[in-house]
Amino acid sequence: MTSTHSEEALKALMLLSLDGDEAAYRRLLNAVRVLLVGYYSRRMAAATKADMEDLVQETLLALHSRRETYDRERPFTAWFFSIARYKLIDHHRGRGSRMMAETELGEDFESEYSEAAVTARMDVERLLEGLPAKQRELIRQVKLEGQSVADTASRTGQSESAVKVGIHRGLKALAEKLRGGK
Amino acid sequence: MRKTDDIIDSLVGELKPVPRHALARRFAAGVLPALAVSLVLMLATLGLRIDMAEALMLPVFWIKSAYNALLAIAAFLAAYHLARPDGSRGRFFQFAAAIVATMAVVAAIQLTISPAETYRTLIVGSSALHCPLLIFLFALPVFAGNVWVLRHGAPTDLRLTGFIAGIAAGAAGAWVYSWFCTENGMPFVLIWYSLGILMTGILGSLLGPRLLRW
Repeated sequence: MTSTHSEEALKALMLLSLDGDEAAYRRLLNAVRVLLVGYYSRRMAAATKADMEDLVQETLLALHSRRETYDRERPFTAWFFSIARYKLIDHHRGRGSRMMAETELGEDFESEYSEAAVTARMDVERLLEGLPAKQRELIRQVKLEGQSVADTASRTGQSESAVKVGIHRGLKALAEKLRGGK
Repeated sequence: MRKTDDIIDSLVGELKPVPRHALARRFAAGVLPALAVSLVLMLATLGLRIDMAEALMLPVFWIKSAYNALLAIAAFLAAYHLARPDGSRGRFFQFAAAIVATMAVVAAIQLTISPAETYRTLIVGSSALHCPLLIFLFALPVFAGNVWVLRHGAPTDLRLTGFIAGIAAGAAGAWVYSWFCTENGMPFVLIWYSLGILMTGILGSLLGPRLLRW
């Protein structure tokens, strides 16, 4: 997730949109559209491009017509991806291939944007904020995004051992922070 | 890709502010008038129970009223949460089970302190056959109100949401009916009222997937 697609950024846009801010709403819809393309393309292996575009549009319309069901106290992405997920299942159901929807929606997909997962990720982000930028980036890439040490090393122009040491130090600092209660 | 841009344009153009607690207002706007219709229907066709003045003094009358009201409140709250795509039923089934279990205890106490020859009156009474049906009928306006609300919502488990919306309507209908019904048996309420409420719940679970799809 890039920063414009983070929970905090999207939620802020949603709150402005609910108060009638058209510019914020346009930004929200455009950001969310990008997320939807990613979300659906990962889950619809056999889908045609037109099919996916239909689903993206239908989900945008649903977000619009159901926006009164958003609870301002709760995470935006959990709400939004619940709509996306419902629309995906409904889409498969409509084509009489319910099985496909159910097998494609594995546990890891479903839990990715659950409220618990979103709040956990926000907590992690908050913890990471306290680290030096370099360590934070390494931990994010390797531990959160699951990229390999080798890839991260070549991308950041460091040696592999430097990456490993950076991550190790960062994690140690995090552990101390948690133990010391900040 | 062009078309999606157009859709975003038109959605932005249509944007209107959403008041806080919009969903709660929607529930009030859908459910309260429906409940009023149900009450008026009961008053017009059946009327209040003939011994109303004395009944107001009876604990059993108020226990019967509370049983239905509590079930309705628990179910309405769950339906309100389920109207959100990321909502859950919460502890609805635990609450409902606790309410029914409490009623069962009350019914058992009433039976133990009553002479055996009154059991028939307390359990079957004189209206066991039509009681669940009338409850079901008085529940229908409220059920329609619930469906109207939920069709504006975004429930994702349509069968469960339909079932709980049905239970809410059934318990509201039972509460309405309890102002006419002269039965004072707690076992009667436990069996026949619950049956009417359950019937409405089943109606909801059958219709939910069709009516609540969005």
